[in-house]
Amino acid sequence: MKTPVRLWVRLKVIDLVTQTAWMTLVEKLNFAGRLGGMTHYWYWGMDAEGADAGGILEEIDRVIRLDGAFTNQNKHRYRLAAGQGLIRGDLALEEDFIVSNDAVAPGVLFAFDCLVREKRPDRETGFAERLNARLKGVAVSNMKYGEVWRLIVSAPSSEAALADVERMLVSRSRREGLLLNPHYQIYEIIATTRIEAGKSTGSARTKE
Amino acid sequence: MNDSFKGRVAVIQFPGVNCEYETAAAVRSIGLEAGIFRWNEDPALLDDCAGIILPGGFSYQDRIRAGVVAAKDRIMDKVAQLARGGKSVLGICNGAQVLVEAGLIPGIHWEKVDLALAPNVMADREGYYCNWVHLKKEKSDCLWTKGYFDGEIIPIPIAHAEGRFVTEDAGILGAMKKNDQISLRYCDASGAIVESFPVNPNGSVENIAGVSNREGNVLALMPHPERATWLRQVPEDLEGLWGRRRRGATGEAVRMEDEGPGRKFFAALRDVKGKDPR
Repeated sequence: MKTPVRLWVRLKVIDLVTQTAWMTLVEKLNFAGRLGGMTHYWYWGMDAEGADAGGILEEIDRVIRLDGAFTNQNKHRYRLAAGQGLIRGDLALEEDFIVSNDAVAPGVLFAFDCLVREKRPDRETGFAERLNARLKGVAVSNMKYGEVWRLIVSAPSSEAALADVERMLVSRSRREGLLLNPHYQIYEIIATTRIEAGKSTGSARTKE
Repeated sequence: MNDSFKGRVAVIQFPGVNCEYETAAAVRSIGLEAGIFRWNEDPALLDDCAGIILPGGFSYQDRIRAGVVAAKDRIMDKVAQLARGGKSVLGICNGAQVLVEAGLIPGIHWEKVDLALAPNVMADREGYYCNWVHLKKEKSDCLWTKGYFDGEIIPIPIAHAEGRFVTEDAGILGAMKKNDQISLRYCDASGAIVESFPVNPNGSVENIAGVSNREGNVLALMPHPERATWLRQVPEDLEGLWGRRRRGATGEAVRMEDEGPGRKFFAALRDVKGKDPR
C-alpha cells in the first residue's frame, strides 16, 4: 500500500538561525507587533510503498535513526508520521507554537507552516535514493525536502495574516522579504492553525 | 574607530566576515589607505571614503541564506546611497552575496532582488568548494576590471558554498548581457568557456563569476582577488603564465612580493581616488 510519510526535525537547543530571522524581521523589516513567534524545522515529505502503514513507519524510523543526513539524536528532535495518526519521535509538533506575549497585541493569531524548497529536484531525488538504498521492504518516492518556517502572525483576518507571511518570506527587495530568494527557491503553505493569543489551547501554547 | 574615512578605502566588517584584514592589505599593496569599518559605526563616516569593499567570509554565519541578513543592515542604506551616487563598491564572495541580496547587483531595478547566489551545483559533490579557477575578462564598463584587457585570463581562488549566479527572469539575464554587466566568466586555462564542473565550479548560469551594475562602479565578484594579490600566493603547479612566473620566483624572496594576478582589481581604485563620485 502507498502511504504518505512526513518527517519533521528541529534542534533540541536554541536555534540561532531562528533567533536571527526573528530579529531581522522584527527590528529591520518592521514586523514588530505582528510577528508573534517563529520556529524552524527541516522537513521531508514522501510517499512510501510497503505492506502496511505501521510497517512502513517502523522501517523508515529504523533507517532515519541511523542516518545522520536526516536526524542526529544528540541534537535533534523529530516527528515521523505515516498515514493518519501513526507517529514516532520526540517532537510534539502540535505543542510547538511558541508565542512571545510581548511581541504582539492580544487577539487572534494565525500560524502558517511554510515549506521552502530549492528548485532542484535532483537534491530531493538524492534523498529518496539514499533512503531506498537502506530500506528493506519499503520504497519511497515523490520526495519533497526543505525547511519549514512556522510563522505566527497577529492580524485582523487570516487573509491579512497570509499577506504578511508572504512579505516575510519572499525577498523581493532590500527592504522586503527574508526567508527565501525566489530565483532559486519556492514555498508552499502546508498547514494553517488559528491560535487564541495568551491562552493554551489544544493545538497551541504560549511562552511566559 | 570613529574618525572619518575621507580618502581611505573602507572595508566593511559585518559580524562573521573573515577576509577583512587581508582585503585591506591588498588595497594597501597598491598604495592606498584602507581601514576596517564596523557595520555598526556611524554610516555617515563613509561619505568621503575612497571606495567601499564588502569582504568575504560568513556574515551572520550565513544564517538563513548567505548575505541576506547583512543586506538588511542599516549600513547598507548608506552603501546603497553612495553606490547610486557613483561610489566604487566591490563585494568579494560573501560581499557579492550581500550586494545581490541587497539588490545593488545587477541594479537594473534598483534595490530589487533580481538575482540569487544559490548553493553550488557540482559533479559528485555538494557544499563548500575551494580551488584555483580561471576567469575571462569580458567587454564591460566595470571600473573594477578595467586594469585587465578584454579576453585576459585571470587565475584566482574561489572558496564558497553558495556561488551559483541564477535568475528566474530571462529578461534580467538578457539585460545584463545587453548592458555588458557580465564582467567575468569562468573559463579553462586556455580561455575556453566550458559549462561543466570544474571549469564552471558552481553551476553559474553562463559561467558568470562577476556582475557589475550598469554604471560599472559596483561589482559582485565571487572569487577572491585579495588571495591573488602577491606572486607568493600563486600555487607553483598552476597552469599558464602565472604559474610559470611563480615557479621562476621560487627561492627569490623579493620577486615573491611581486604583483599577483588579482591585484589589478584593487589598482583600479587609484584612478578614482580623489575624484568626486559620479
